[in-house]
Amino acid sequence: MPPHGAPGPVRATMVGMWILVKTVWNALARLLRHFGWGGLLPVVAAMGMALFGVLPWTVALVLLALIVAAWWPAVAADLLPVTMLLAGIWALMVAAVAGSVANWAVVSRSITFIGPQRLIKKPPGGPGKPTAVKGPGPVFIKGPPGPVTVKGGFGAQSAQNLQAVAGPRGRITVLPWTGTLHGPLFGGPGGPLKPGMPVQYSVARPVGGPIPVGHPGGLLPTGLLVPLALLLLALGLWLTPRAIARLRDRMPWLVPYLRRWAVENRWGVLLIPVTMFGLVVFGVRPWTVAAVLVAVIAAVRWPKVAADLVPVALVGFAAWGFAIASSWQSLAAGRNGHQAIYGAVQVSSPQMALLAGAEASVFLAFAAWLVPRTIGAHARTLLHPGPDPELAGRVQQLTETRGHAIDAATSELRRIERDLHDGAQARLVALGMNLRAVERMLPTSPQAALALVAEARETSSRALSDLRNLVRGIYPPVLADRGLGHAVQALALDTPLPVRVDVDLPGRLTAPVESACYFAVAEVLANAVRHSGASHVDIRMQHTDGTLRIEVCDDGIGGADQAKGTGLQGVERRLGTFDGIMAVSSPTGGPTMVVMEVPCALSSPKIFSS
Amino acid sequence: MRVVVAEDLFLLRDGLARLLGAYDFEIAAAVDTAPALLRALLEQRPDVAVVDVRLPPSFADDGLRAALEARRQIPGLPVLLLSQYVEQLYARELLADQAGAVGYLLKDRVFNDDQFIDAIRAVAGGGTVMDPEVVTKLLGRRSRDEPITRLSVREQEVLELMAEGRSNTAIAQRLFVTEKAVSKHTTSIFSKLGLAASEDDNRRVLAVLAYLNS
Repeated sequence: MPPHGAPGPVRATMVGMWILVKTVWNALARLLRHFGWGGLLPVVAAMGMALFGVLPWTVALVLLALIVAAWWPAVAADLLPVTMLLAGIWALMVAAVAGSVANWAVVSRSITFIGPQRLIKKPPGGPGKPTAVKGPGPVFIKGPPGPVTVKGGFGAQSAQNLQAVAGPRGRITVLPWTGTLHGPLFGGPGGPLKPGMPVQYSVARPVGGPIPVGHPGGLLPTGLLVPLALLLLALGLWLTPRAIARLRDRMPWLVPYLRRWAVENRWGVLLIPVTMFGLVVFGVRPWTVAAVLVAVIAAVRWPKVAADLVPVALVGFAAWGFAIASSWQSLAAGRNGHQAIYGAVQVSSPQMALLAGAEASVFLAFAAWLVPRTIGAHARTLLHPGPDPELAGRVQQLTETRGHAIDAATSELRRIERDLHDGAQARLVALGMNLRAVERMLPTSPQAALALVAEARETSSRALSDLRNLVRGIYPPVLADRGLGHAVQALALDTPLPVRVDVDLPGRLTAPVESACYFAVAEVLANAVRHSGASHVDIRMQHTDGTLRIEVCDDGIGGADQAKGTGLQGVERRLGTFDGIMAVSSPTGGPTMVVMEVPCALSSPKIFSS
Repeated sequence: MRVVVAEDLFLLRDGLARLLGAYDFEIAAAVDTAPALLRALLEQRPDVAVVDVRLPPSFADDGLRAALEARRQIPGLPVLLLSQYVEQLYARELLADQAGAVGYLLKDRVFNDDQFIDAIRAVAGGGTVMDPEVVTKLLGRRSRDEPITRLSVREQEVLELMAEGRSNTAIAQRLFVTEKAVSKHTTSIFSKLGLAASEDDNRRVLAVLAYLNS
């Protein structure tokens, strides 16, 4: 409620504001409830319209965002933080350069560097009347077209023609120096304009439709830009960890893969930010944007080449920086357009020139530091080709898995030896002793001998049972008879849980692979029975493109951890011997899904001949 | 009674033949490979066959496959399979045709010759004989099953023996109770499991096994 006694109009405005805020809030809440966070994606996309105006591509972006949010809300939710961060950063950049020259095309061949400006709303004195320009620095003339005369004894000239070129919104900059100045760093005249001094014009014309914020054509008031950008950044940063966690759940391989890729190709990846720096130095031009795109492609496709280009680009930037620092005045006079901006520095004074020089030196130093790590390293491998790192990695992996295989085989043999020693072997000894006793007793007490014989039979039965269990642990009979598919089906039948088995294996695998896969499935299934509390399990086996893929899913409580369970680690090592891999997805609360993949060949099915 | 014996190890084949001979079985053929077994079964049409699951040429489940093939061509041909191990998967395949006259036993059961000969005679007579180990596994699988847990301990014992293929008389002897008591138990079991009761011993076994196997 508005404060009591507020004057009518104020009260009406406040009520109106209140209703507006409430309506917007309700709409947002409904959007979030209905589509989740992804529903905000079109809102963020609409920022493009606010920043750049209603253009075909900004409208297309909003439509695209709407489609994604409606059809794939999960994808929209994943994209949201990234777009928020990008929009926030972009808005901050626009706010920083608002009023600078990025969106102005230079028509005349002189600089449109913006220093301290004075805005002259209308040619003072009206059309046709002379404009007095005082002091140094560019003069910003804006207003309806009309003859503007720059006067003052320093080469009076009518600006009418220039204005015609610049268009009604164009601007004319009058610089107090000529382009012929020399002097290393701080030279050149400048200072107050004096009668008789030559003056150069720079005429810029807006290009590319509406001009960014703060200029006529933008939709967003400049004042709102920075708070909005900060809001977007904060929201984006807050949402990012959630999106990453979701992504990690859905594609567990993605994050480690990206991390490994980024670490392996870190110098090549560096090319992208370095070329982006070109956007700041040379402005957003077709060729600077193209350079960034090429850098992205190169970093992905040819990371080594990209890495070699990084120091080269840095040296180029450094050279450019030194050139600007040494002759900023003559450059400003307009030989090469508006390039007196160097990174974070706008070179308009000797101090700034010094800063630009320092910046260039940092680039040069970084380039020098990078050379041995990129170009040098690549040249060294070219001149003295050492062991192929890929091959070396493979050798190490093989050494590791061979070690595991030998360990596993040894402990398996030890287990068999122990089982035989304590089981069948011991029983056979007992059997032999029993029979010897029978031999002795038979003549004297045949009744007692008979009882001993019955005992001997019992012992041989136990020995057989021991051997049976042992054999099942070494190589399950059904696996030997019929192969992996049937063996897993038999395993499912022996499991005290409903297990659905879906096999697509049109042939047999090699015995070692079959055995490894069988025991892997057995271990995972045993885990599901012991720990998951599942009510049923699904097993799918499929052989496509030279790879056997086995999925074991249960509807239990989840929480299986590959890093903790020795059983799962054993499975991974067992499969690793055959270059197989295992992935476990088991969020708390379930379900658990274990995927195993083993590259292997399929032989033709064995046909029973009778 | 004419019997075909298939076993690839000479000692065992010889022992089996001698055992069967002692109980007045006529050995129609004693073979050592799966193709020979199939030929003998189809040509001799014995009253019963005693077959080792693992036979040459591939030393896999060739014996089982040959027996199944023979039963496909001559439905209900009585076959008793012997093996060093029993698998539910194979038991299922043997029972799939619902024709009865099959047996599946561990080789150890030969030690107890009375029971073994009884089993052969039961199979020859069209009965179904399952190794206790198979039955235990079947029951283990159904351990979470509601109806099974409602059976009393004695009823579970009776169910197990029934699933092994024993008649009421045999069950009564084994459990030291009267046949009447056994038949009371079986009626109770059938009603608790929701199975249609049957006086025919063989159909009764098949119903129980089908229930456990489902």
